[in-house]
Amino acid sequence: MTASAPTTLGTGTRAYRWARKNLFRTWLDALLTLFFGGFALYIVVTFLQFVFVTGRWGIIDVNLRLLLVGRWPADELSVIAVAVVVLGLWVGLIAGIVHGRQIRRETSAVASMSMSQRVSDLVRRFGLIFGTVLLLLVLTDTTGPWLMAGATIVAGVGGRILGGIASQMAVPHWFARGALLMMAAVPFALFFFLTGTVPLADWEGFYFNITSAIAGIILCFPLGVLLALARRSKLRLLQGLSVAYIEFVRGAPLFVLLLMANVSLEFFVPASLAPSKTIRAIVVFTIFTGAYLAEIVRGGLQSVPRGQEEAAKSLGLSPTKQMGLIVLPQALRNVIPAQIGQLISLFKDTTLAGLALGILDLLSAAQAITQQEGFRGQGLIVETLVFVGFLFWVGSFTMSRESQRLERKLGVGTR
Amino acid sequence: MKKIKLLAVFAVMALVFAACTDDGDAADTTAANGEEPATTQAEGGDGAAGGALLAEVQERGTLNCGTRDAFPGFAVLDANGEHVGFDSDFCRAIAAAVLGDAEAVEHVDLETADRFTALQSGQIDVLVRNTTWTAGRDGVEGATFLQVNYYDGQGMMVNTGDFSSVTEMDGVVICSAGGTTTEGDAAAEAARLGLDWEIRSFPDTDLLQEAFQAGQCDGWTSDTSQLTGLRSVYPDGPEALTILPEVFSKQPLAPAVLDGDTAWAQAVNWAIIATIQAEEFGITSENVDDFLDTDDVNIRRFLGLDFEGDEGDTTTFDPGLGLPLDFAYQVVSQVGNYGEIFEEHLAPLGLERGLNALWTDGGLMYAMPYR
Amino acid sequence: MRVLSWAFQLLVFAVVAAIFFWLWGNFTRNTEASGIPTNFDFLSNPATFSIPGADFSPNEPVRNAYIVGVLNTLRVSVVGSILATILGTLIGIGRLSRNWVVSRLSAVYVELFRNIPLLVLLTFVFLGVVLQVMPSIEVSWNPLDWFVVSNRGIGVPWYDGVTGWSLSLVFTIGVVSWWMIARWRQSVFERTGRPSHAGLLGGSFFVLTLIVGWIVLGGAVSLPAVDGRQIVGGIRIDPSFFAILLALVIYTASHIAEIVRGSIQAVPKGQGEAAAALALTGFQRMWKVILPQAMRIAIPPLGNQYLNLIKNSSLGAGFSYFDITNVTQITVGNGSPAVPAFFLALVFYVVISLITSALVNVANRRFELVER
Repeated sequence: MTASAPTTLGTGTRAYRWARKNLFRTWLDALLTLFFGGFALYIVVTFLQFVFVTGRWGIIDVNLRLLLVGRWPADELSVIAVAVVVLGLWVGLIAGIVHGRQIRRETSAVASMSMSQRVSDLVRRFGLIFGTVLLLLVLTDTTGPWLMAGATIVAGVGGRILGGIASQMAVPHWFARGALLMMAAVPFALFFFLTGTVPLADWEGFYFNITSAIAGIILCFPLGVLLALARRSKLRLLQGLSVAYIEFVRGAPLFVLLLMANVSLEFFVPASLAPSKTIRAIVVFTIFTGAYLAEIVRGGLQSVPRGQEEAAKSLGLSPTKQMGLIVLPQALRNVIPAQIGQLISLFKDTTLAGLALGILDLLSAAQAITQQEGFRGQGLIVETLVFVGFLFWVGSFTMSRESQRLERKLGVGTR
Repeated sequence: MKKIKLLAVFAVMALVFAACTDDGDAADTTAANGEEPATTQAEGGDGAAGGALLAEVQERGTLNCGTRDAFPGFAVLDANGEHVGFDSDFCRAIAAAVLGDAEAVEHVDLETADRFTALQSGQIDVLVRNTTWTAGRDGVEGATFLQVNYYDGQGMMVNTGDFSSVTEMDGVVICSAGGTTTEGDAAAEAARLGLDWEIRSFPDTDLLQEAFQAGQCDGWTSDTSQLTGLRSVYPDGPEALTILPEVFSKQPLAPAVLDGDTAWAQAVNWAIIATIQAEEFGITSENVDDFLDTDDVNIRRFLGLDFEGDEGDTTTFDPGLGLPLDFAYQVVSQVGNYGEIFEEHLAPLGLERGLNALWTDGGLMYAMPYR
Repeated sequence: MRVLSWAFQLLVFAVVAAIFFWLWGNFTRNTEASGIPTNFDFLSNPATFSIPGADFSPNEPVRNAYIVGVLNTLRVSVVGSILATILGTLIGIGRLSRNWVVSRLSAVYVELFRNIPLLVLLTFVFLGVVLQVMPSIEVSWNPLDWFVVSNRGIGVPWYDGVTGWSLSLVFTIGVVSWWMIARWRQSVFERTGRPSHAGLLGGSFFVLTLIVGWIVLGGAVSLPAVDGRQIVGGIRIDPSFFAILLALVIYTASHIAEIVRGSIQAVPKGQGEAAAALALTGFQRMWKVILPQAMRIAIPPLGNQYLNLIKNSSLGAGFSYFDITNVTQITVGNGSPAVPAFFLALVFYVVISLITSALVNVANRRFELVER
């Protein structure tokens, strides 16, 4: 990556001028360039060599299913496939409807783009994920995942078109509201569909990391909003409770909370109620992230101009309606990037559940497979950890870029 | 001013609640706490130690047995995800005795650090996870240890050729699993021999093995049976490691149940003893059915068959343990006798019967009389 | 209305209190049933485990093990915070460098390490670097003969022969004279306007005092060496400490770099231009004009990163570093009651977090005052 940029600038003299300006401005600059350039080159060459030549990736190939979905029964994998396809349709529908609304309000960023521009925009934003999925598909030796990927793309595109049409149609208010409710119910329905096949206690692998992060962020939402409202309220007792909760949870390490959930939860709830390790992990994630989300939402509430509340008051709205209809929606909208940031850190922190609770998540699975017969004692941990790190990196990096994009779009901080 | 008001409110609240709980405990008078005692009693039945665990397990139909999943010889997961090993078989033996079905076991995988809390909290009914019987565990941990199913001793494993005796090991790093008795015993042994050992403990065996293989430790100390099991699956081959001849502490491994439920403890105890008794009688899972028409009164009594009583009438023997009459038959026919279990899981690792032979063969395995 | 709001609050409070009472009732019943202690008497029991790298014997009470654990947590947190701040600041400045290679490399560093889980990084450092790259003691590296690098620890030269009291006396003399020199140079500067060089003069005097005092007291340098299978002499950096420190520094520096970059960009452009107009060099411009202002903006988010670092150091427990979390886990495994033991650890973390955020608030206020 260090060598390619100058040549993209075209002719020799321009490249020379570019290099002169960006690489060799002063003798110190030149020294830095040579030193760090050499360093970067060494790293890149070593890394490429590792990926394409010396890396022994057989262990990943053999254990791909274990890493991704843990010990999910092989003949029940179709359930996941169905869920993914439905999810694709759902995402497509939402994207279509949102886009339709944006066109009506003339706030769409992509409406003016041609088809090819749109595709390249999508590739730029989500190309990494597409690429990773493609890589994983290549590693599988069955046709099932390919079928699933194909069906998901078809469902997604179909949903996108359908959603676009639906958003243009004039429908009665009650119908729109009902449809919205049904859309909101889809993820929950999918969740029960999946737990109906394999109980939550047996969710493992990367699948556990993804689902528990999503579950945690969804479940902590009501908690976080309530805590934020309580902290801002003039009711002293509520405020005190909320502050105590937030400060206590934010002062405690997630790892220690998870360890406690592992060894001491049974003392506090009856044995018949003691949940499985997966549920414990999700509950701790919820409790933990709730405190952080509360602080984020509080920041959002503070960012809403006072005039908004006063205007709502002058319209004769009740205090609940002022908050629920006017202030809170704006506050939540303003802090979407921060919420995505919280999702990213929760996504990364789900690995702690493997260490603290002994759940076979992606990272624990990656460590466990290096102890398998035939792979033991060969130092394959480097290969498996690079693979694990790559999967997490792709997810976090894409989300963080999307959150930056949203931040620019929402104009947070520029107002 | 506002702060004072707030404080006052808290104080009042605290008083009110303190008063409520006092009342609630005596007799549920207040509305706020009216539900408390009721739920308390409801949970008393299925709580950690209601005193009737035997009935509860029989009603539930499965036994929750605390064990582990990656311990060669004692409990490992096979390719089908089944628990296989010496300890796993004792879980099965208990299930066979109590429920009549050796497969009615929920094997709960536990770490070293959480095994006792799992027992204390009622997550498991019995702990069979090569756990050393010590006074402190009997006392502070609230556990009751039962019939020892493996007499073990602590040993030291080194890279072959490095050392030939523990006394040679001066100025070395010794690794052990954290949160176990072996750690403290190793320190005591070093002090006794006047050796300078740095003892480094690891949270799990996989990590310990990685560290040992990389050369972070000179010695690996643990129960000899564990070391033998781990040596058998060592990446560089078993011959790369040597277990030194010294055995430097007693490690009797025994199943444990929670304090305070004698009936349950006795039921589990006799399930273990039945495996030893069966070996004494020479009854195996293969030939147990041949004994159904034996004339030996002791065996007939043991297997729950009818025999001729003192007054010449036909009778059966029920010791009143709360176990089915034929529990010993179920244990032996579905799981096997002690020798069979040992031969199947531990002999392949190269472990000798040694202390664990029957008392008639010079060992310590001695069944209490079933009368 | 007031009555209603109080009634509502009391209701919420009652619900919370009821939940607590329910949990507490279960706890007392479960512990009573199994006879497990719920008090802190276990702190006086012998620990029965040893702590590598610490002067701690298994016969000492659990209380002392907790103290060693607390000190270890603080040690890795303080050293980690300092190193992460230095590295993060360098990378943050590097991202804004006009040198294309430097800015690209910094950007890659930030985007790479910010987006992978710390635990993956830590596992990699321990299993991949410490255990696989670092040599075993038999074939340890001895760069310059001053260091010993092996997977049993890293030996570093250290002072020797001077006892704690006399050394701290010398240290105090050095610090006091530094302060006095700084006062004196400041007054000279205020009278004459000549550059004060307070830091340079005072600092060199401080170092000089240390060296002279240490030689006078008969101090020597102790170099590490391999003796048999142990590192003797110097000071030994524990391999687990090294692993958790390295992972924490790499990870936290990527976050600090972003904070530093944002803060530098938030300093008005005119400041840099004004500094350039005063003919300050690039280094002076950054060190004397831009960074002090940027750091003021950066203090609250930096404080958050230090808090995260302290809490993240608990992960060392998974890799045999004896911080408070690990001590808690091991003592629970050795028979201490789980709930009180973990409660102690949790209270420690919460208190340390509250103290740290109080310190950050104080620092923030001080720097704000300077501005106005």
